[in-house]
Amino acid sequence: MKSSETLPTHARNALFVAFLSLMIPGVGQLYLKQRGRGSSILLAVLAQACLIPWALNNLKIAQVTMGRVTTSWLWFVLLLFWIWNVDDAHNIAQGKPSPSFIGIFLTALVIYVIAWQVTDVRLDRLITRFGNALKILNDVIHPDLFTRNASGRWVPSENFGYIFGIIQSQPAPDILVRMKLVPAGTLIPIYQAGKIVETIALGLMATIFSTLLAIPLSFFAARNITARIPGGTVIYYAMRAILNVVRAIDTLIWGLIVVLWVGLGSFAAVIALTIHSVASLGKLFSEEVEHIDPGPIEAVTATGANLFQTIRYAVIPQIVPSFLGYTLLRWDINMRAATIVGMVAGGGIGFFVIETLRKSAYDQYAAALWAIAIVVIIVDYVSARWRERIAVGTMQVSVAKPRPFYTSLRAWFYIVIGTVAFIYCWNLSGIDLKALFEPAPTFLQLVRSFVSFNLDPEVTNAVVMQMTVTIFQALLATTLGALIAIPFSFLAARNLMGRNRLSVGIYYLTRSLFNILRSIEAILYVAIFFYWVSFGPFAGMLALAITTFGLIGKLFSEAIENIDSGPLEAITATGATRFQAIVYGILPQIVPPFVSYAIYQWDINVRMATIVGFAGGGGIGSLLYNNYFPFGEYRSAGTAVALIVIVVAIMDFASARLRQALI
Amino acid sequence: MLRVEHLTKVYPNGTVALRDVNFQVEDGEFLAVIGLSGSGKSTLLRCINRLIEPTSGKIIWNDMDVTAAPASELRNIRRQIGMIFQQFNLVKRSTVLTNVLSGRLGYVNPYQSLFNYFSSMDQQRALENLKQLGLEDKAHVRADSLSGGQQQRVGIARALMQEPKLVLADEPVASLDPVLAHSILKYLEQMNKERKITVLCSLHFLDLVHRYATRAIALKEGQLVFQGLPKEIDDAQFKTIYGQEAERVTIV
Repeated sequence: MKSSETLPTHARNALFVAFLSLMIPGVGQLYLKQRGRGSSILLAVLAQACLIPWALNNLKIAQVTMGRVTTSWLWFVLLLFWIWNVDDAHNIAQGKPSPSFIGIFLTALVIYVIAWQVTDVRLDRLITRFGNALKILNDVIHPDLFTRNASGRWVPSENFGYIFGIIQSQPAPDILVRMKLVPAGTLIPIYQAGKIVETIALGLMATIFSTLLAIPLSFFAARNITARIPGGTVIYYAMRAILNVVRAIDTLIWGLIVVLWVGLGSFAAVIALTIHSVASLGKLFSEEVEHIDPGPIEAVTATGANLFQTIRYAVIPQIVPSFLGYTLLRWDINMRAATIVGMVAGGGIGFFVIETLRKSAYDQYAAALWAIAIVVIIVDYVSARWRERIAVGTMQVSVAKPRPFYTSLRAWFYIVIGTVAFIYCWNLSGIDLKALFEPAPTFLQLVRSFVSFNLDPEVTNAVVMQMTVTIFQALLATTLGALIAIPFSFLAARNLMGRNRLSVGIYYLTRSLFNILRSIEAILYVAIFFYWVSFGPFAGMLALAITTFGLIGKLFSEAIENIDSGPLEAITATGATRFQAIVYGILPQIVPPFVSYAIYQWDINVRMATIVGFAGGGGIGSLLYNNYFPFGEYRSAGTAVALIVIVVAIMDFASARLRQALI
Repeated sequence: MLRVEHLTKVYPNGTVALRDVNFQVEDGEFLAVIGLSGSGKSTLLRCINRLIEPTSGKIIWNDMDVTAAPASELRNIRRQIGMIFQQFNLVKRSTVLTNVLSGRLGYVNPYQSLFNYFSSMDQQRALENLKQLGLEDKAHVRADSLSGGQQQRVGIARALMQEPKLVLADEPVASLDPVLAHSILKYLEQMNKERKITVLCSLHFLDLVHRYATRAIALKEGQLVFQGLPKEIDDAQFKTIYGQEAERVTIV
């Protein structure tokens, strides 16, 4: 796609460059100062040269036998890629355009052939076991929420009560009796919180705790602060490293660890959520601290203010809005994580889901999914609206002197409501700070053995194998989800769908589909595909693809909404057909953001894929959940988690760089 | 010849952008359209090639009724009318050459054009047009790597690819440095004189009108308030067009 006219064009030079690329692929391109292209080619060849024999030896992928020689036909594809690379270098040296899609296609062919088999894709099962799909779909459409009572009226079912809570007559609590409000032993109606309400409490508590912890930590991970203290550089890099490692380990993996510390239950869920959330917020906060404008600090210091006054008047006003914004964003993310953390840590709707699956009560499971979708969509909406408000800021133009907050009835109302809600959530999430200091003996064993990695070949082979499955699973899920999302994203773009009532209807329908599907974490979908195509990486891949479809569909449709309509107008004015106008006016504008979002999604999907194994979706998660943690093999678990951290960090870095190159 | 008869445009929100506008443009004219921002200049130009659907009135171009043309005929008319935009409206990520070639889309086979296929004749013509506009060395760079003045020249090259008989220029120099304004307008003038292309150009600055236009029309709140030679715009006319508060300004 890129071509260069400004380069030397004599033929001798071109032959030399081609020779360079023949010897070491990509070097000719590097010699021509095509850094991105050259290094991509070199990396692609190296990756394929590692993958092809690995796939052949471990899984007999692409094996062909010719006489006595057994080899992989993918070598032939790599050979073609090599030839293309020589031709490409030659073309560029001569200043001729050289399309890169051949190279991309050949690399993709190798990777997808391997990914397809590693992920154990069995398309036939989608059809032969379609009956199972229909049955579970039927349960999803008819969740166990309402039932007909004796007189034929629809009433909330027992399951509804488990999820949303019920009002029961119970003896009045002590405090009311002591306050002489009611006589002892009176039965009064009391609301018994359901599992989804408990989940909301978990998300809220984790957000509050993690914000409080992340604020002080973030100052030690900010370069402009650590530069002022002795030994600051060491503290800075240590903090950064810790935050990145902790962040790379999914909440559910933390859940496995925390359960050994404080035991199964809501409190373990809150801790697991908090640990992951502190690291994520700490990183975001510290970046915000680094962006503080030093000007006001200088000015306030110049007035003779002391350190605390400077912080109060020059630092805090700068960081409060962005900290609040990130906290609200984190609340949204924690809410989603809270719906699944219970699957391993206990507590909340996640634990309830596991119970329904154990009973094979799919209609109850479906009811939980709907409840999760409703709550997550509401939290998503509220959090987005509040963030919008913070971003815009309130510009109140008033001549009246503002009253202090304590004279405002409304402020007191919020304070009282907030306090009551906090205490209620505290009780609901079973917080037991004492438990933190009385860890189970197994936990001490875990702490001791976790970082003394088990590097037996048997373990490392299994870990590398399953990690590869996880990466490819994520790749296929991203591809599948993104491909299906493309046509739908056009239907969910407001600028294309605002014409008449029908298209506006389709717009809202598609938007809602995206919102519902992306509000439910991939791991919760595994059960559906578990039932449909049986357990394994294929089920995990399909589950990831569903969430991907919702997430990426939203991103794609927003990319379409953001296009510049000028070129479309200009091309329409030349007398082009509508179709031509789309190809020339819209496609060049949306392809780069689409590719960029797909890469970003792959990065996210690798993280999500590390846990789908907890529910039977294969990959490294199944190794941790089924093989290592239940048998106390914490050294092997440590190895697996270490590899997860490395892979996630590399993916994070690589995807950021790739996306930068695309803009 | 272009005839605009009783042209009225009312937007769905009730804004009356054009109110019973009548005028005529002879072949070979360089007609300037002047007026304040929001006076309806852009709407007028876009009604002529029906990028905006007029509410009522007629546009007759070379005996063809543009306002009544069905879709395929409209595309036929559009390809003979080039358009140049204030914001250039280039596809920023595509190369300059692709942008210029997109001016041929109304002529080429739609299926071939899907694969970015253009005949070597079209390619040649695109390069020639770029050369005329002093951009021959920029053919293969991305459009957004060019400066504003260069981007507008690409816009002109794209319009020229249509072999237009009429060019609509919507504030072609309003987003550019005043110094560059003359360079762009000189290209339009050259196009008008050498290729005998009729030009309809909306402009902000009166001295540009004096210098380049053969005739001018003025819009105020959607109504035609003046038509005649540029030099006929005296102080009294000026105040009716731009309001009592306005002052004449000159640029380079």
